[in-house]
Amino acid sequence: MTSETRPDGAGGAADEVVTTSRSARPWSLLVMSAAVAAVLLAPLAFLVLEAHGAGAATIGRLIWRPLTATLLWNTVRLTVVVTVLCVVIGTLAAWCVERTDLPGRHVWAVLVVVPFAIPDFVVSFGWASLSTWVEGFRGAVLVMTLAVYPLVYLPVAASLRSADPALEEIARSLGVSRARTFVRVTLGQARGAILGGCVLVALVILAEYGAFEILGYQTFTTEIFTEYGVSFDVPAACSLSLVLVVLGIVVLGGEGFARGKGRPVRTGPLAQRALARHHLGRAKLPVLAGFVALVGLALGVPVGASVYWVLEGGAHVVAGVPMVSAGWHTALYSGCAAALATLMALPVALLAVRHKGRAGHLLERSSYLVLAMPGVVIALALSYFAEHYLDGFGYQSAPLLVVAYSILFFPLALVGVRASVAYAPVALEEMARSLGQRPWAVLARVTLPLVGPGLAASFCLVFLAAVTELTATLVLVPTGVQTLATQFWAYQQNLSYGQAAPFALVIIAIAAAPSYVLGRYFDRLPGRATRPV
Amino acid sequence: MTAAPEGPDNSPWPEVVVADLYKGFGRHRVLTGVHLEVPAGSFISVLGPSGSGKTTLLRVLAGFERPDRGTVAIGGRTVDDGRNHVPAEQRRIGYVSQEGSLFPHLTVGANVAFGLPRRQRQRQVGDLLDAVGLSGLAGRYPHQLSGGQQQRVALARALAVKPRVVLLDEPFASLDAHLRATVRADVHSVLRAAGTTTVLVTHDQDEALSLSDQVAVIRNGTIAQLGPPQDIYADPVDSELACFVGDANLVEGVFDGTFVATALGRFQVSANLGEATPGPVTVLVRPEQVQVQAEARSGGDGTGVAAQVISTAFYGHDSIVRLAPVAGAQAPIVARLLGQVRLVAGSEVRLTARGPVKIWPVRIWPVTASAGKDRPAKDGPAKDVPAKDVPVPADRGDGAVLPR
Repeated sequence: MTSETRPDGAGGAADEVVTTSRSARPWSLLVMSAAVAAVLLAPLAFLVLEAHGAGAATIGRLIWRPLTATLLWNTVRLTVVVTVLCVVIGTLAAWCVERTDLPGRHVWAVLVVVPFAIPDFVVSFGWASLSTWVEGFRGAVLVMTLAVYPLVYLPVAASLRSADPALEEIARSLGVSRARTFVRVTLGQARGAILGGCVLVALVILAEYGAFEILGYQTFTTEIFTEYGVSFDVPAACSLSLVLVVLGIVVLGGEGFARGKGRPVRTGPLAQRALARHHLGRAKLPVLAGFVALVGLALGVPVGASVYWVLEGGAHVVAGVPMVSAGWHTALYSGCAAALATLMALPVALLAVRHKGRAGHLLERSSYLVLAMPGVVIALALSYFAEHYLDGFGYQSAPLLVVAYSILFFPLALVGVRASVAYAPVALEEMARSLGQRPWAVLARVTLPLVGPGLAASFCLVFLAAVTELTATLVLVPTGVQTLATQFWAYQQNLSYGQAAPFALVIIAIAAAPSYVLGRYFDRLPGRATRPV
Repeated sequence: MTAAPEGPDNSPWPEVVVADLYKGFGRHRVLTGVHLEVPAGSFISVLGPSGSGKTTLLRVLAGFERPDRGTVAIGGRTVDDGRNHVPAEQRRIGYVSQEGSLFPHLTVGANVAFGLPRRQRQRQVGDLLDAVGLSGLAGRYPHQLSGGQQQRVALARALAVKPRVVLLDEPFASLDAHLRATVRADVHSVLRAAGTTTVLVTHDQDEALSLSDQVAVIRNGTIAQLGPPQDIYADPVDSELACFVGDANLVEGVFDGTFVATALGRFQVSANLGEATPGPVTVLVRPEQVQVQAEARSGGDGTGVAAQVISTAFYGHDSIVRLAPVAGAQAPIVARLLGQVRLVAGSEVRLTARGPVKIWPVRIWPVTASAGKDRPAKDGPAKDVPAKDVPVPADRGDGAVLPR
């Protein structure tokens, strides 16, 4: 799931088994990757051009005004509070599910993750439509924590599952108490996963628009949207975007700084014993109650609220035609974006996995900068470019929306494609060549069968992410066309909850089920290849 | 394809000819002028420590790497001459890698049949699996096989396409010690039965000496010596190579044109004198040439040189005795004795040796870095560690007596 956006996350384990080709510099791959990197960084370049066009003095004046300070305070305090809450909830939940004898942990493992598939703006809608208490800062904290804690849960759970149990035993044998072992060894091993989760949480909060708009909480993203969409104040939107991108870069850079240099090392073979689970004992009931509450709040409320509004709305909500039309356009745009993003990720992944070189590394790294660019910034930069340099050509056209999606979700595609490319080592292709197969036959008989499932998974990941995207879609969607998300948004803005609710349920249904399947797929990945390959 | 032009009628023409081969990666030069001819139907081993370029040589033969300079011909057809490069799939080679590299998404049967035309698949797969002793496993997937089975499948897959040359890239290195011996023997007999020309790359001297018709020792990117295993062992071109292939005692001696006098006695010299001229020489005495007599029993005999036992190690079929250096030797003397030896550290013994011995003109050989270290356990994990750099006299202890 989206936890895989972590740049050097889950796929990393597979890299070590790959033999690196020592052939000469792969020029064609380098050129293609450079082209991809250029597309990815284009929004950033447009943003700078835009700022340049407005003039440094104007931008400076716009940045140094009280509004910026307010937005900064709002954004940063929300980010910090939600991140801390997510770390606590996500880590505790992961530890209980993976390391204790929690009853029904297989069911909890699924239920705890599902809320992540529900778009934040739907969670927000669910809560806000039920109670006016949920608004402003407290509403934002509640909604965002419930919506994004799985971003910490998923990597931490994966890390606890693959952690070496021998390390805890060794710590105990060295005379370290149980509690200190938990802090120093168990959490220590999961530190990278927790950090990665924090970065994702922070980036999501920086980029979120819909949820805050509903809750009436002002952040950089909502303000940029208002400046551009309502006041058409391009220099103001541009200056705020610059600050937002810098915030994103700070978050990304901070993670690299905090991660440190330690890497897990194991001398023996990779087979490991099953983990001994801790007994919850008398804590069993309170912990169970906690899980019931968490799932009830994170999953039950949004789904329940949507169902409630559908029933409340009665017969007139059955709006078949807009639903079918919106569904078709959503599928079309998301499908194209998924295909494009996967295709773009291929040369970069090949370069990174098969030709470990400085240029490839740099290109791969530069694509992570995309993570610092929220959807609204990418959308505004692209639309600015279309208006000013293409003479309006392409503005609010389907291709521009597809390109925006592909850029936005490129990191997601890259993680999946990178992992799958690692399962087709060069040695196997060479072997096929030596058995008399021409290059295209090698591609069809060896490379594609090995890489195919992973590519399909990447495609689905991007597809799902695009289906639930709202911010960039609102800016770039072709005139007169509605997607599921924008149609939901339009009804919701009119307070037509009865008409919005069916769209919310459809989005949840589309996103939740495949996310679960994909999550399981990526969990299995590290063990899939026969060793030694 | 025509026979190679030089091939005389009475001897088999070379199946593989490598001439003046150069290959580097960036600034790192790996192959620096390799010449090699492999007669048709023969088994040749390329023996060298890791980093010597042996795997690169094999990959150039296979067509996975393009040489910077030089020519490669397979079956009389030039496949690389610096300008033209015949791709791997047109070379008719069989390649078996260290890891086996079985296609993980295909069954054993489909792996073996991979290079065959569709019509022949059914019929041949059974025969090939029979040949490598894996009948009935065609439906399994690679991850359901043991390492030894995987390597046999890899061999069957390589042989399926009826290759002109089979290239083996350390195919036994990743196997357990006890498995390695049997798989090695099986692979050897399968290849013999098929009559294929084979090039094996290895850093394991046991493997090279016991399997091959010819051994090519590769060092610093060139072939240092090429010859039958017996010659490589008994008649190495220099002391470094002697230390790399088997255990070696190097002592100083004086050559008088017929015999050589050393602290261990006076010996006949081996037929090939090389550049040795009367005067001071370096003498190679293999551990099994050294004889040890307990001091008390030899009594007034007085033959041999007195020495003190440092340590003994018992291996069942033989024992290794390490002795304090005698005059003219810089490292402890190593003796390999058949059967049990009842000597404890500190015992005084007398040493003699049997000729003939190999001699070279004196030159300063590197100081033995491994002196004093205990011999690694036979067939133990030590074999899998990368071989030491060449100048270290091989204290690997698994050279001369081949375990069967």
